[in-house]
Formats: sequence, C-alpha cells, structure tokens
Amino acid sequence: MIVAQKGTFDPMQMTISNESDARYRGLLEAAPDAMVVVNATGEIVLLNLQAERRFGYRRDELVGQKITTIIPEGFAERLLADGTRSAAAALAQQIGTGIELSALRKDGSGFPIEIMLSPLESDDGILVTAAIRDITVRKAAEQHLMQTEARCRGLLEAAPDAMVVVDEGGKIVLVNAQAERQFGYRRDELLGQAITSIIPHGFAERLAADSQRSAEDAVAQQIGTGIELTALRKDGSEFPIEIMLSPLGNADEVLVTAAIRNISARKHAEVLLQIKIDELSRSNEELAHFADIASHDLQEPLRMVSSYTQLLARRYKGKLDSDADEFIDFAVDGASRMQRLIQDLLIYSRVGTKGKELLDTSSERAFEYAIGNLGGVIADSGALVTHDPLPDVRADEIQLTQLFQNLVANAIKYQKTGVPTVHVSAARAPENKWMFSVKDNGMGIEPQYFDRIFGMFQRLHKREEFSGTGIGLAICKKIIERHGGTISVASLAGEGSTFSFGLAASTQT
Amino acid sequence: MPTEVLLVEDSPGDVRLTQEAFREANIAIKLHVAEDGVEAIEFLRREGCHANAPRPDLILLDLNLPRMDGREVLALIKADDGLKSIPTVILTTSEAEADIVKSYHLQANCYLSKPVDLEVFEGLVKSINDFWLKRAKLPKGRELG
Repeated sequence: MIVAQKGTFDPMQMTISNESDARYRGLLEAAPDAMVVVNATGEIVLLNLQAERRFGYRRDELVGQKITTIIPEGFAERLLADGTRSAAAALAQQIGTGIELSALRKDGSGFPIEIMLSPLESDDGILVTAAIRDITVRKAAEQHLMQTEARCRGLLEAAPDAMVVVDEGGKIVLVNAQAERQFGYRRDELLGQAITSIIPHGFAERLAADSQRSAEDAVAQQIGTGIELTALRKDGSEFPIEIMLSPLGNADEVLVTAAIRNISARKHAEVLLQIKIDELSRSNEELAHFADIASHDLQEPLRMVSSYTQLLARRYKGKLDSDADEFIDFAVDGASRMQRLIQDLLIYSRVGTKGKELLDTSSERAFEYAIGNLGGVIADSGALVTHDPLPDVRADEIQLTQLFQNLVANAIKYQKTGVPTVHVSAARAPENKWMFSVKDNGMGIEPQYFDRIFGMFQRLHKREEFSGTGIGLAICKKIIERHGGTISVASLAGEGSTFSFGLAASTQT
Repeated sequence: MPTEVLLVEDSPGDVRLTQEAFREANIAIKLHVAEDGVEAIEFLRREGCHANAPRPDLILLDLNLPRMDGREVLALIKADDGLKSIPTVILTTSEAEADIVKSYHLQANCYLSKPVDLEVFEGLVKSINDFWLKRAKLPKGRELG
C-alpha cells in the first residue's frame, strides 16, 4: 500500500509495505506511459521514469508539486468535488476515458497528451493514478488525416463533374455540390435514395452481379469507360450524361464512384456538326453532279459548233476570201479547245463521282495501258519511255492509268529539243507505301511554279508553244488525293523534272 | 430499190450532220426523219400523214426525245411482230451505263454513242452503213410488211 501524507509528502517516507507494493512499483516503472499519482488536492505524490523523461524533470523536482505544473489545465479540475458531486463521483465520471490535454515540459515547451485516470484508495484518501501518453505523433497523424480528408472533400466538391458514390445496392451514399446543382436536389434529398431516381436506366444494371460475374467484376468491366446515359432532374426534365465509374475498394462493401458529366452541350455540338457535315457532303455531291451535268450538257451545243465549223472549213476553205478562211480557222480552233477543256473538266469531276473502289492493282499493267493509249504521241515524238518493274498497289486501275498517261504525256510534251526520255520507277516507302517517280529529261520547271502547276487551269506556257487545258496535273492531284496520297515535283530548269507520288502497297504484299 | 433508213432525232443539227455523213458514206440511202417518238411510231405503222411510208431497212434511234422517248419507242418496236425484225440501232449522246443496259434489255440491236469529233462521227456513220446496210444479212422484211 502506498502511504502518502497530505500536504508535505516526502517520497522517501513512502513505505513499500509488502510484495504487492513492490509489484505495483515495478508495474509503474515498467509502464510504457508516463505515470503520475496525484492526491485529492492535486499534488504529485509519485511518478515513474517515463514521466521524468516526458516532462524533463527529475523525480524529486516534481514530487510534492501541483499537477498543474506539468498539466496546467483539465486535470486538477477533474479531481474537484463541486456542489453537485463528491470528489469520488467527479473522478468516477472520468475513469477509463481518454482525456486529451496539453502538457508542459520543464523547458516550457508543450505537447499533446492523453490521460487515463484510475482511482486508488489509500489510507490518506483517494489517490489518482494518471497514465499519460504523449500523443504528438498521433495528433500530427490525425491532423494530417483531417487535412487529407478536407482536401479530398475539397477535390470532390471542386470536381467539375457531378460526383455520386453509390453502394452495391445502388443507394446513394455521397454526392457533391455539382450533383446537387445538376440534378436539382438538395444533398439530404439524395442521400439514401436509389441511383435510379436520378439515372433511371443503365447505371444500376451495371452494378448488378449476375450469374456470370460478381458485383466487383461487374464494376471492374465498366471502369474508365465513358457510358452515355440519360439523367433525370428533380423537376422531371432529362439531360444526356456521360458517366465514368470507378470502384472504391473497401473490405466490407463495394462502393462505386460515378463521375457524371452533363454532355448536353457536347451532344448539341455533335448534332450541329453532323448537320454541317451532311450539308457539306450534300453540297459537295451537288457540286460534283453539277460539274458533271454541266460539262456533259455543254458538250452538246459545242458538238454542233465544232462539227459545222469543221464542215464549213472542209467545203469552203479557199472558196471564200482570205478573211473568211482565217475566221473559220479561229472558230474551228476555239471550238476544239473548248471541247478538250470540257472533256478534261468531265474527267476531273468524274475522278470524284465515278471513281471505282480501290483494289489490289498491278501498277505495271496500268502503266502499260497508259503507254498503249499514248502510242501515237510516243511514236510521233520518238520518245524513249522505260520503266523498272512496278509493284502491285491499292488503286482504281482506270484512274491509275489516267495518272500515268497524264504524267508521261506531259514529260514528252514539255521538251524543247532532243529525244524525250521518260523513266518510271517505284521504291518502298514507310507506312507500307510505294513511292513512284516519273522522271524526264524535259525543260524542267522553275521552283516558284512547283505548287501552281497542280492547280486548275494553270499553264506556264503560251498556247502557241504548248497546247493544253491546264487541267492535266489537277486531274493527277485529284486522283492521288482520292487514293489518300500526295503528288509533288522536283525539277531543275533545263534538266528535267521528276514527279513523285505515293500509293499504298497492295494487301497481298 | 433505195435503202430506207429511219432516223429518229429531235435535233435539226444532228439530223443534218447525219444526212451529211450518209451522203459521204452511201449516196443511195434514203434518210427519213421522225422528230419525236410519236412520229416515229406513226411512220412505222403508216398512220396519219405517213400512210405511204416505206418500211425502213434500219432504224437509228435517239434516246432522249420529246413526247415519247426512245426507250418507249424501242419497247413498242420490239413488241410488235411486224416491226421487231427491223435492226434498231441506238444513236445517242448518253454514255450512261443505265441507258446501255436498258437498251439492250429492250432488244436494241446495237448501242452507239455519238462521238464529239466530226471526223469520228463520219467514220461511225460509215461503219453503220458498211455493217448494217451492206454486210449484215437481213430478213426480207418488206414482203412481210
């Protein structure tokens, strides 16, 4: 038994009367917490080594001191009887309860503690044992946790999307301010409600376990997938949403967080975009159709003009005066140029409207067809047209023939003197393509015209030098673009030109 | 006996061109002209002012005509036992696949599109003359009619 004197307690006088007292002392010293024994007037009568360490005092400096020296507030008060209760009753209320207080070290620094009080009957009245635990670390951890939580809550609230957390049964357990706003409910109206009250279809079903999968799997399958659904506001109005689900792992239950985005604006934009696309493709189609019909119908009256001026020339040339002969010549020439122009325009417009499906095609065969079509031109010019083995590509054979034909014809045509030589080759290019080259020894092209020559009606020469409609390369460009490629030219004036274009390799290679 | 050809064509320019081309090819041809489908049928059936019309050895038929178009005329000719043996050649500016298929489906004997160039057109008329009027053996239809 601990014997303590009221008032001037001298620890040295404390007698350890028997074994149990010794055990008590032993227990006290072995305790992981700081232990302080206080009498009913709040004086410290006993403390352990941990207490010395915690508070920075030697034992003899503390014994006999008021407990307020080391715990300024909240301890001593708890020992006092007041008008309504005895000291024993006051103390009894505190037993077993962890009380958080502030402690003061000898050096004046404070630290948070938790104390557990237990009474101890003694000859000198009630003594109180206080187990004092330094909770600095726990406090810091708690504060950190609170901050983290606050940040999470902040994040949740600050999220641009409406966030709704539901449990496995589809009950709403958490919402953010955006969710309140989007759905038109107050938070307390939503919590505990079924998710189907705001998202009638497509969400709850995704949470459900069925014979093939567990609830977790059901959710796992949806993670990260934007699912487009319809949401219902409190006022009964609907709006389109996209939801992203993610599970909140928890040992006991599966919670699912749904980020819900109102996609009304996006949907509206999509509709507008589709309308624009439809309009554009319709107008493109009309335009292509218009060009086709216009050039076909233009050809009819022109055929009359051309045929009759030719008849005139044939029958009356030399029979009228020289002015008449000249006029007839101009008329015949104008009509025939107009005819070529319309025919080229027709070819140009039909690249888009009459194009065939792109199939595996022998570019060598298309090239041979082109050379066949140019037979007369090649023979007349004495041109030397050579080629490497040419690969199979994805192409519309008729258009590929047209492409070779236009490029080779140009190569032969734009010559000043000498024997035109044209060489066609193909080389492997990245992305499973073939890069074709049509190289000539012609007059070449000045660099400033490299882009212009592919435009409609672009001509670099006077009509007396080289005839032509200025559509040939525009047709080439349109054909290549329809095949998903580009065409370009490299040239040195006076030394020839090389036209290059890429085509996708055939699927067989 | 002259060779009788019925040209069904609404464009006077084309009629004259065809006449000129035949004059070059075969001076002995007598070219009759019907300006639309209705007149063509009247001519073939010798109705109205065509009561004395001869039975043609060859019909050159345009497709796009006023009142009754060439497809209807072709269908009527090929459905008529008295007329179906007359070679009927479509001569039109249309190069549309649908027109070609439809014409052969309706038993056209041949489908030709008018070339844009005069000399090519003249060559075509000459080959029509050489093939259908000279080389091809045709039934003695006149006796049947």
